[in-house]
Amino acid sequence: MKVRISRIVLLVVMLSFIVSAGSSAAVRTGAWVDEVVFVEETDPNKAIARIEAGELDIYTLGIAQADLVKQIQSSPKLDYEISFGSYNELTLNPAGPIFDNGKLNPFAVPAIREALNWLIDRDYISAEVFGGLGVARYTPLNTAFPDYARYADVIRQLELKYAYDPAKAKEVITAEMQKLGAALVNGKWTYKGEQVTLIFLIRPEDERRQVGDYIASQLETVGFVVDRQYKTSAEAAPLWNAGDPKLGQWHLYTGGWTSTLVNRDLADNFSFFHTKRGMASPLWMAYEPDPTFDKVAERLSNGDFSTADERRELFAQALEMAFKDSVRIWLNDRISIWPRSANVTMATDVGAGMSASWIWGLTIRRDEGIGGKVSIGNTGMLVEPWNPVAGTNWLYDNMIIRGTGETGVMPDPFTGLYRPQRVEKAEVYHLEGLPVMKSLDWVDLTFVKEIKVPGDTWVDWDAKNQQFIPAAQKYPEGLSAKTKVVVHFAKNLFTDVKWHDGSTLSMGDILLRLILSFDRAKPESAIYDESAVPDFEAFMQTFKGVRIIQTNPLVVEYYTDTVALDAEYVAEDAVYLFWPYMAQGPASWHALALGIKAETAKELAFSKSKADLLKVEWMNYIAGPSLNILNRHMEAALAETYLPYAGILGKYVSADEITARYNNIKNWYASKRHFWLGTGALYLDQVRTVEKIAVLKRFEAFPDAADKWAGFSSPPIASVQVVGANQVRRSAGANFTVNVTFDGEPYAVKDVDFVKYMVFDSRDNLVLVDEATAVKDGEWRISLSAADAAKIPIGTARIELAVSPIAVSIPAFGNIQFVVLP
Amino acid sequence: MSAASVADAQLAQKRRRNALDAWLRFLRYATVRAITLGLVVVVAVYLTVLIANMGGKVDQIRLAQIEEEIGLSFLGNPQVQMMSVEERAAYRDQLVQLEVKRLGLDQPLLVRSFRYLKQGLTLNLGRSEELSSDSGSRQVRYILLERLPATLLLWGTAQILLFFLALFTALFLSGRYGSIIDKIVVALAPTSAAPGWFYGIFFILIFAAVLGWLPFGGIVDAPVPDNRWEYALSVLRHLVLPTAAQFASGLFLLIYSWRTFFLIYSSEDYVEMARAKGLKRGAVERRYILRPTLPYIITNFALLLISVWTGGIILETVFNWPGLGRLLYSAIHLYDTPVIVGSTVLYAYLLAATVFLLDIIYALVDPRVRVGTEGRES
Repeated sequence: MKVRISRIVLLVVMLSFIVSAGSSAAVRTGAWVDEVVFVEETDPNKAIARIEAGELDIYTLGIAQADLVKQIQSSPKLDYEISFGSYNELTLNPAGPIFDNGKLNPFAVPAIREALNWLIDRDYISAEVFGGLGVARYTPLNTAFPDYARYADVIRQLELKYAYDPAKAKEVITAEMQKLGAALVNGKWTYKGEQVTLIFLIRPEDERRQVGDYIASQLETVGFVVDRQYKTSAEAAPLWNAGDPKLGQWHLYTGGWTSTLVNRDLADNFSFFHTKRGMASPLWMAYEPDPTFDKVAERLSNGDFSTADERRELFAQALEMAFKDSVRIWLNDRISIWPRSANVTMATDVGAGMSASWIWGLTIRRDEGIGGKVSIGNTGMLVEPWNPVAGTNWLYDNMIIRGTGETGVMPDPFTGLYRPQRVEKAEVYHLEGLPVMKSLDWVDLTFVKEIKVPGDTWVDWDAKNQQFIPAAQKYPEGLSAKTKVVVHFAKNLFTDVKWHDGSTLSMGDILLRLILSFDRAKPESAIYDESAVPDFEAFMQTFKGVRIIQTNPLVVEYYTDTVALDAEYVAEDAVYLFWPYMAQGPASWHALALGIKAETAKELAFSKSKADLLKVEWMNYIAGPSLNILNRHMEAALAETYLPYAGILGKYVSADEITARYNNIKNWYASKRHFWLGTGALYLDQVRTVEKIAVLKRFEAFPDAADKWAGFSSPPIASVQVVGANQVRRSAGANFTVNVTFDGEPYAVKDVDFVKYMVFDSRDNLVLVDEATAVKDGEWRISLSAADAAKIPIGTARIELAVSPIAVSIPAFGNIQFVVLP
Repeated sequence: MSAASVADAQLAQKRRRNALDAWLRFLRYATVRAITLGLVVVVAVYLTVLIANMGGKVDQIRLAQIEEEIGLSFLGNPQVQMMSVEERAAYRDQLVQLEVKRLGLDQPLLVRSFRYLKQGLTLNLGRSEELSSDSGSRQVRYILLERLPATLLLWGTAQILLFFLALFTALFLSGRYGSIIDKIVVALAPTSAAPGWFYGIFFILIFAAVLGWLPFGGIVDAPVPDNRWEYALSVLRHLVLPTAAQFASGLFLLIYSWRTFFLIYSSEDYVEMARAKGLKRGAVERRYILRPTLPYIITNFALLLISVWTGGIILETVFNWPGLGRLLYSAIHLYDTPVIVGSTVLYAYLLAATVFLLDIIYALVDPRVRVGTEGRES
């Protein structure tokens, strides 16, 4: 009996362990891991060796070198994420045709620029120079972003039209050069007795060196002498961008660009890259696009269209005219590989990689389990001061900063669409006729005839009297807006959301963040900063006001003239203005108060620019001489129960809260030796700036379940296979089956926006465009009726298709060839 | 007063006058040396300012970089997207001017160059233009001082150990010319053809990647140990490979070099005489070889001590060591003139002071060195 009882007791104990283990997994909040250690590692070779040796788990640098990528792909201990945000092009100098130095510039002639499209084999560059880590790109649209898939049929025709054809290039160039008065002598172009020498600025720091060499060789085949000048970024910038193009210091430049996120709306790319409305530098000022192209580009840039069809029509025109203009020749999109240990996962932004992910801290996980430590190698870190207002914007430090914070809505790393984090829902009202759409349920989109801004809406800030200016005062005649957003924040905002020092989020945090958006740009302010003025003025061009409807739960209104293709973007604008995560990090009112006191006393400055102007330290909340100053102001603030902008904040922040907040941050500083507070799932536990080490630990008071962002560890990039007959009779038509999968599993129909197919004949003429029909998850059908088939000339033909998934911005492509019989 | 005492007094007076003359000569010598070295420092620092600014070309580069950076920020910026060409250009100019003003590029280089020079010479190193110190300060002294301990630790440890080990090994070998160990050292001397960082890469591969005995780099474990002893032990572990790399690169050539030097001295007649008198080998080495070579050794040691202040760019990069070498590289890369000048002026002052002190010491202690009218300094 004794034995039996002891067994039962043992069983009960074991069961309780199992149950408790299970329940702890179920209620795990915040980060999956307990600790994240960041260390500096500048060498990718060593970083990979360190991951293989188990000393690092992740390396936050996108690697494009083919040999390293092969090493990563072949190691069983390594896995990787991919991003598509970087791209290369060939920038041409359009000045002339005669430079100020009397030399000929062939690229002043649009037809010669256009001909370069045929002279360059983009597939060769992608395959050989980039070792397969590149995708041929012909247009201003990134091949991995939604607009490319949206207009795939238009683009594909242009890609075929401008495919590699050196003979055609030579023919056009020869004709145009002769029109310019140049002559081919001994195989070299001469103008007024002198050889035409092209000055080619080639960037030697990366694969652009090989790209430049290849293009130079191609130019030599059509009779040009090429002066290859290998110049670094610093050496080339004064010439290609800042120099006067008419001086003739260069003809071509190997340009490179990087996206910092998934850009869902590329309508501005035509204006930016092909018209004067780009970087506003001397080169851009030399652009003289065709007036029709310029107008189309401007309309796209300003969102001057009201339907998707109208937008499509404008894109189709702009895409074609961009080739005719060709002030830059698009070359390829780069694929970057971000290495990680095979047993660690993390959400990665498909546009800009690991370091750009906003939810990495919420998704990083080891062995699909709970707890443990993850080590991250950072290519450069802790290089500048951290402060939430105008601290470091260094990409790799901002990754760490984002781990300690959260925003009201967070960008989906696969689509770029914002998803709610501390927001219940948003109502977006647009004027009728504006080209806006919505994709996610948390946003309600309504079109209205008119949007009036109520008189009690705050439209500006009176820095002298420290109060908001209502619309009725500033605009007695009334004010209207193009867009209104009503944001309903989460109901538990002021109860469950905690700062890392234990303080509960309050209206003080919301309002101070809002006030600082205005106050620093006002000359009457004690913390006026002239470097904040240009951005503020740009902001005020579209800002129409904000209104607090209620404080608990918090509901606010935002009025603006900003129009974005996705309603989620405008909603994010509204949330951003209120949520206490400023430009460079999380911003609690009590931590900001210390900085405001220090800047008011002219001892520290939030911005680098003002710090240099005052000859004081750039404010740093995590290390250095700033800490003693901030600490002194903290003691003073505690003693005098200081509340910044008390005229407004005093209505919402009690004396008890003031004291409690300063005591909390005092204890925090005593424990951590820094003032960095966030509401994120990880807090900054240890920072060693000389040693370049930062340690983040799991914040136990984080309110959300750890699995809230589950499903974002791996982008569901579709694979496509087309199956069908290899012979099609014109009289009978045919069916083709399209299999769309992810990781071998069928892609759900509801997760696919469209499967578009294009039928080309043997001469690459587009015969037919349509959408495939969904049959079941993972399967779509292309039905070529007899009438459709009859349109295809006899001979070889092919179907190309583009699949646009909803859950990831990257489209997938497939094709099949067949023979058309009578 | 007797004739003898008069003669004594005259002799004493002559000696006093000679001594005074000697001191005056010495003072004159010291003053001239100090002024000469001071001028050299001024010229060297001003040249550094001009070189760091490429005679003004850097201004163009920086302006172009500012314009490029601001222009790039317009891409995908919805607020800029709505602006007309003119508004965009005005907005850009406004941003550019702010940055130009912040960096002082609105003043001519000539004006700035003398400000840099003054700041450097007065050791008021001023503020950096781009770099922040590790702790975020913009003051050049913090930027340099925060990296100094790591640099001194690595290069001081390695170079001082290397120096004394090579010195005494060479002394030992100089008495065993032609022995097997001597031949081995001579045979290994060419291994120094490869720089320290080259060995560093191999050591990392062997001892960190393959064997896992030692860390890949950095100065301390992460997270940083709270306990002081654990911290020191961790730093020591991190110090092993970069120090070993410098040893591998420098040891045998240095031994070979000192050994050859000592061999020349050990064949002097007075050394042979001492050996013939039956003095022990150690006594001969100390009194008859080491002592006369001491000025040369001291000079080498003093210059070595200064050299550890500069760190090394590639070795520090290979080992992720947060030293002054990497800092200087960053400063050059970013055209941060105040940091470049600060780094240079510290070294220049140290070098000048060392040379000055060595000259004084030689003048005082080395009988072969004469100053003033009785001889020219050698």
